[in-house]
Formats: sequence, structure tokens, C-alpha cells
Amino acid sequence: MSGGRFAVGDRVRVRSHAEGGNPRTPAYTKGRTGMVTAFHGVIDNPLDHHHPYPPLYTIVFRVADLSGKTGADLVTADLHEEWLELA
Amino acid sequence: MKDLEGHVDAVASDLEYFRRKRIEPRVLLYLRRGIISWPDLFRGHELAARQPEPRPQPDLELRIRALEDSLDELILSIATASIPSATHAVAIDDNRTERGDYNPEFRLAARTYEGDVETRIELLEMAVAETRHLVASFTGALVHAGEVTEEALDENRRRLGDLGYRNGARIVARAWTDPDFKQRLLETGRAAVRELDIPPGRLGKLGVAENTDDVHNIVVCTLCSCYPHDLLGNPPWWYRTDEYKTRLVADPRETIRDMFGLEIDPERKVVVHDSTSDVRWMVLPRRPEGTEGMTEEELAELVTAESLVGSTEIPPPR
Repeated sequence: MSGGRFAVGDRVRVRSHAEGGNPRTPAYTKGRTGMVTAFHGVIDNPLDHHHPYPPLYTIVFRVADLSGKTGADLVTADLHEEWLELA
Repeated sequence: MKDLEGHVDAVASDLEYFRRKRIEPRVLLYLRRGIISWPDLFRGHELAARQPEPRPQPDLELRIRALEDSLDELILSIATASIPSATHAVAIDDNRTERGDYNPEFRLAARTYEGDVETRIELLEMAVAETRHLVASFTGALVHAGEVTEEALDENRRRLGDLGYRNGARIVARAWTDPDFKQRLLETGRAAVRELDIPPGRLGKLGVAENTDDVHNIVVCTLCSCYPHDLLGNPPWWYRTDEYKTRLVADPRETIRDMFGLEIDPERKVVVHDSTSDVRWMVLPRRPEGTEGMTEEELAELVTAESLVGSTEIPPPR
């Protein structure tokens, strides 16, 4: 699996816009900061994408950072690299 | 059956989902691309017209059950007809463009099925019958156009019929009894299920989230309804509801309590996994107590479809 720009453990922020990026990126993650917990490489998914997107990461967010609810609960989302920047 | 309205709501929501996102856009796309023609569709319609219609049931509850059964059958027919085209790459069969964008221009008008329970049931019976007719016409058209053979359709239907959460139950039971398998499952996902002679499918990666004494996992797809359905069959009906999708990520613990009556121990963390078409998640539930002497087959019997999503825990056997 070829490397990506981010490593497991990196804190990353999800961009608000990513020109040409995978449009199927959940709105509630945009502008939010989370941590990389897994790197999946480039996903070959010809049934859903006509061309492959940049590498995919699992990002974990604290519910507290998403909706302001207190507590330690978490949400993980799988996001493509073009949406992410180091926080 | 306690909540007749609830059952009717669920049928209406499921029917609209499959009608508006799975079959009608696909028929339109195939016509637009010239994969099938209008005459193909009309010829398919002649074949479809010969199919017998189910007889109406006198009792309301029986009618709802019959409606649910005919919807299940319809969904299976839609999945069967959604066989990959031999000659054309068809990436998407709902209201997305091929890059994956949602485009409101492509959205089909929603139907409401309003009235008292009996009227709603009648409207839904008609709508299911009409959509069944459309699916049969479309399937006939595919055969006419030489896109698929009857044999390939039969084979696809048989394969889909064998699917279901039983696959998931077997995977879970093996993971409970074989720690090495569990490790391979958590690390490699789909590749590991080959050991059980389960076809691994090919809809993106399979993510497996293990419930422990410290963590309770639950799966959602906030953007649509991605689920490893090629491996586990269809998710429970509420998986596709907007209420579940929006509430779960905003407040998982409270949503699980409100919607499913499951109180998660405050000491345990709740982790929501938002599935996409690239990574589809399943939950590996905790093995209940009192199952020490049970065989793998007996353990598999305990596993429910809901526990694979994470909306319930598996109770100890009685």
C-alpha cells in the first residue's frame, strides 16, 4: 500500500471545500478536527466511482467536538485525503 | 402486531426508497443510454402481464403481513434486475451522477400514501403491484436487448436469496470461538470470511468493529444507506430513516436509548461508525454469558440482524 500524506495519530481538520474531491463526505465533519486511526490506501471501487479518489483514512471525532454534547463518545468517518489538512 | 401504523410507515418508506432510488432511475438510465429501448420495455411488459397478482387478504393484519412479504419479494426482484450490464459500465443506480454527486435535478418525485390505515394499505398494495410490474417489464427488456440471459438472472436471484444476516451470524460465531480468526477478521475484513466458504463480496472494504467491556459500537450511513449488504443481506428497515442517521451522530447514547431502549453502561464508550461505499462497517457483538459450552452452530443461532448493526446486545440464552 503506497503511503499517504498523513500518519495514524495525526490530528487533522476536515476542509470546508475540496474542489473535485469525493462529494460523499458527511457535512457534520466539515471544519471539524479529528485524529487519524487507520490508513486504507486508494480504494478500488469501480461500482461507485468511475475514477479512484486519493487515499482514504478513518478519522475519529469526539461527539463533543461535533455537536457539543458532553461525554467521551466517538464518531468515526472514512474520509479521502483531499478533504484533510494537518490541524 | 401492535403498531399497525408503524408497519405501514415502514412499508411506505422502504417502497419509496427502492422505487425512487433503485429501480426507476435505473430504468431511466438504461433508456437514456440506449442499453434497452422503449420497444424492449413494451415487450417486457407483455411478458410481465402474465404474472399472477396475489389475492387480497380480508384481515387488516394479514393484509399488512402480505404487503410486507410482497415488498420483500419486490426488493429481491429489484436486486436481481440490478445485475451488472455486460456491455456498459453503470456505476450508480440512484439519483447521483456518475461521479457520485447528488443532483436534485435527477430526484424523482416522492409519493405520499395518505389516509386512514386501510386506505394507506390499499394505496401501498397498488404501488407495490405497479412497481412489481415495472421490474418485470424491465427484466424482460434486459433479456430482449440481450443484456442478460434468463439463466444469469436465475443465478443472481438464487445467490441473493441465500444471502442474509445468517452469514453475519456465522462470522460472529466463528470469531467468538476462534481468536485467530477474529484477529484476521478485524485486520483483513472480507478476506477472512472466505475461511467460512462465504463469498466475500466486492462492495468496498469491510470494517469490523468489536464490542468490548469498554466500547459499544454502532453503524450508520449518514449520506445514504451503505451497508455490507452483499455479505449480510439488507439492514433493518430503520437503518434508512433520516431520524436514525441524523440523531445518531449528534447524540449516540441518547439515540440508542430512545430508539432501541438500550441503555449503555456509562463506563462504556459509544463509538459510531459512519459507513460509506468505500468502507462498510459491521459490529462484532459481545458473546453473552452462559454460552461457554455451546457449539459454533448454536452460538450462530443467537446472533440477530440488529446486533450486527449495534442497536442491540445479544442476551444470554434462556
